[in-house]
Amino acid sequence: MAKLNVNGRVVEFTVEDDTPLLWVLREHLDLTGTKYGCGISACGACTVHVDGVAMRSCSQPVSAFNEGQKIVTIEGLSPDSSHPIQQAWLALDVPQCGFCQSGMIMAAAALLAVTPRPTEAQIREEVTNICRCGTYNRVIAGIQRAAGTTGAAG
Amino acid sequence: MERRAFLTATLLVPVAALAQAPAAPPPPTIAGQGANGALSAFLRIAADGSVTLLTTTSELGQGTHTAHAQIVADELGCALSAVRVEVGQPEPALRLAGVNEMYTGASFGIRAWAPRLRRGAAAARTVLVQAAASRLGVPEAELVATEGQVRHAASGRSIPFGELVEAASRLPLPEMPAMKAASERRISGSSAPRFDIPAKTRGAATYGVDVRLPGMLFAVARLPEVFGAELDSFDAAPAMAIPGVVRVVPIPRGVAVAANSTWAAMRGAEALVVRWKATPHDGLDSAGVSARLHAALAQPEAQRPKNDGDWEAVRAAAARVVSATYEVPYLAHAPMETENATVRINGDRAEIWAPTQHQDWCVRDVGQALGIPPANVTMHSTLAGGGFGRRLHVEIATQAAVVARATGRPTQLLWRREDEFAQGYYRPAFAARMEAALDAQGRVTGFAIRGAGGSVMADYRPALMRNPAFVDPFALQSVADTRYRFGQAFRAEYARVDLPPKNWLWRSVGSSQYGFFVESFLDEVAHAAGKDPLALRRELLAHDARALTVLNTAAERGGWGTPLPAGRHRGIAYMEAYGSLCAEVAEISITSGELRVHKVTVAFDCGDVVNPDTVAAQIQGSVVWGLSSMKHEKITLKNGRAEQRNFDSYRVARIDEAPVVETHIIRSGQPLGGVGEPAVPPLAPAVCNAIFAATGRRIRQLPLEGQPLS
Repeated sequence: MAKLNVNGRVVEFTVEDDTPLLWVLREHLDLTGTKYGCGISACGACTVHVDGVAMRSCSQPVSAFNEGQKIVTIEGLSPDSSHPIQQAWLALDVPQCGFCQSGMIMAAAALLAVTPRPTEAQIREEVTNICRCGTYNRVIAGIQRAAGTTGAAG
Repeated sequence: MERRAFLTATLLVPVAALAQAPAAPPPPTIAGQGANGALSAFLRIAADGSVTLLTTTSELGQGTHTAHAQIVADELGCALSAVRVEVGQPEPALRLAGVNEMYTGASFGIRAWAPRLRRGAAAARTVLVQAAASRLGVPEAELVATEGQVRHAASGRSIPFGELVEAASRLPLPEMPAMKAASERRISGSSAPRFDIPAKTRGAATYGVDVRLPGMLFAVARLPEVFGAELDSFDAAPAMAIPGVVRVVPIPRGVAVAANSTWAAMRGAEALVVRWKATPHDGLDSAGVSARLHAALAQPEAQRPKNDGDWEAVRAAAARVVSATYEVPYLAHAPMETENATVRINGDRAEIWAPTQHQDWCVRDVGQALGIPPANVTMHSTLAGGGFGRRLHVEIATQAAVVARATGRPTQLLWRREDEFAQGYYRPAFAARMEAALDAQGRVTGFAIRGAGGSVMADYRPALMRNPAFVDPFALQSVADTRYRFGQAFRAEYARVDLPPKNWLWRSVGSSQYGFFVESFLDEVAHAAGKDPLALRRELLAHDARALTVLNTAAERGGWGTPLPAGRHRGIAYMEAYGSLCAEVAEISITSGELRVHKVTVAFDCGDVVNPDTVAAQIQGSVVWGLSSMKHEKITLKNGRAEQRNFDSYRVARIDEAPVVETHIIRSGQPLGGVGEPAVPPLAPAVCNAIFAATGRRIRQLPLEGQPLS
């Protein structure tokens, strides 16, 4: 029996201990916004927040978490898609296929939580998620828009 | 997933293909079975005025659904927000003329469908206006369809579409409706926010892997490592011992483990003991592949689809001959969503949910696997986590159907990332040998090229290749039909090399390697002739005003010939693919042997534009795609298998490498061209030509990674 705090709710369920958090979110809690991309923490499609810090959920077993840790997924980032990153993503049509974008948004939101006004160089260094559609320019522009800074990317 | 339920009257509008419109219109039809099956789309207008477009195109992130809605809203005369877009079923109306299949590829989404959508919407508007005319007792000419209503300006009266639908649906649809002039378009031609974005910013978009059905199982495939190795035997016991595993099922090309969770299925797939049959190529490695390609460059026989003038004579008479050999590796698509499909069987009927680019093949294959007619298979086209050509291959559909039948429950089958890399169908490894003849004044008098590599068409549509005279159009794509004029002789040859990995359509397909080959080589020719690379291309395109405009726009906007900051260098390249012309200027620097691409200026002529922001997004993505493959990507072979199995070993470009992309769209008014692919081919040569400008080092092999620059 596992007990987790996900998106502000404590949930209890039965699952094998070694099940990565990603699959618990997707299949036990029906939070399918978090994606499987590689299974080895290389691509970032599975990024969620654990106590406000971005974490790749595909290779962290559920047994590594307890109900004292606040896990937030894309579905819980804001009650009404009002997070500045989500608003910027809408304003700039950032996603293309969108499969990586839940993770990208969570990575960007975690960056802003620590560094509210990141430079372009910081964004390029801190965001390491893979987007095969190549939306990187708009990701940079979106983070800058959400942070209230401007830049040349686009 | 469920089709929207419509209120009362529904207007079904079949749209005849423009090219196939007969001189004397046949009797019109309403229910989607048009003349000669040459229908192409459906519009439905519900009593509440909402418009539903059943489109043919899968949404892979390229934005086609929104563009289709823009076209329809404009021509029909309603707000963009009134239009919903769904992917239809494979049926005559939604099949591409000629091949008679419903699929998304070859950058056809707009260029092939825009005229038909426009025409269909115009036909619908025509009968709505006719219905209003008879109700108001005024001539049709006094009525205007706008904002979802038919208005009579003189009397100030108006009727919403929804109130006209019932009467309009009883009127014959015109075969050749009057369409709005381009100057009257208000929605199409301007940027509009994409419909699919809001759900994608809150994790609510449904991809193939997000499909959930009552009582469903999750299955994971175990596929061979050696290309094409057949299953010999397997021991299911270790997999069945994993908690949650329900069943182990042999599938075409491998074995699947079905479980009550994906994680259990993954562990089961890992635990399976599988033996594969030996293949003749168990020892094949990349050196062997390369040797085969180079042998094919040297062999006497080759197909020769282009042979203008007497190349041998021109070569013999040349003051100077420039020659070079180039090579590129196998490449994987690596879409972020790995292959998957979900199948539910109910008696002699079945449903499939898949992020696919080919609906007709999914339905055909599921039908064949289950022994039921394709008409009994319902296709649910989900959003796709990337396509890039990968999802025109639909073997997953058969595999999922086989597992669903064996388990007796709805089943979602997933490929792990490792299998996606190992058994993906690749952009073929390719080599080319090129020669250019120059006269004493440094003018190009002739050009000869031979490409050698796998045939994409042979794996994509093998039936076409049964005719020995047929030349794979991808084998010399963007070369055999180039606008360049090379003087007195132009010879283009292809030597096919059959190797174990399957060859597939990979964003821009054959143009992806030929952009690098030809445009890098022309840079060599320019330097050999003592000319500016832009000036050489202008000479070769001097007869073609449209191409010159594209080339010159990129050069001017990219600052070609103007001073650069210290350490910065430029390269230029041009190519035409999928009906669009594209030139790019790359600005780079190299510091301590490290390449940085700062900016890419793109000039792009796709004829006309529906959604400029989407075009810009596709070009930005194409630049990153081109840069990623140029710098990092390769599938190498060892012992008959791919050495790269995940993103740790198959490196792709990340945000730190993304250059600024400046896009200049040229609206030439020429026939529509594709948007998703044509900006890929010029990127690698533009950057490599800039590397030459910076270092004097000519890059003739990709990827760049592993080649020292200092």
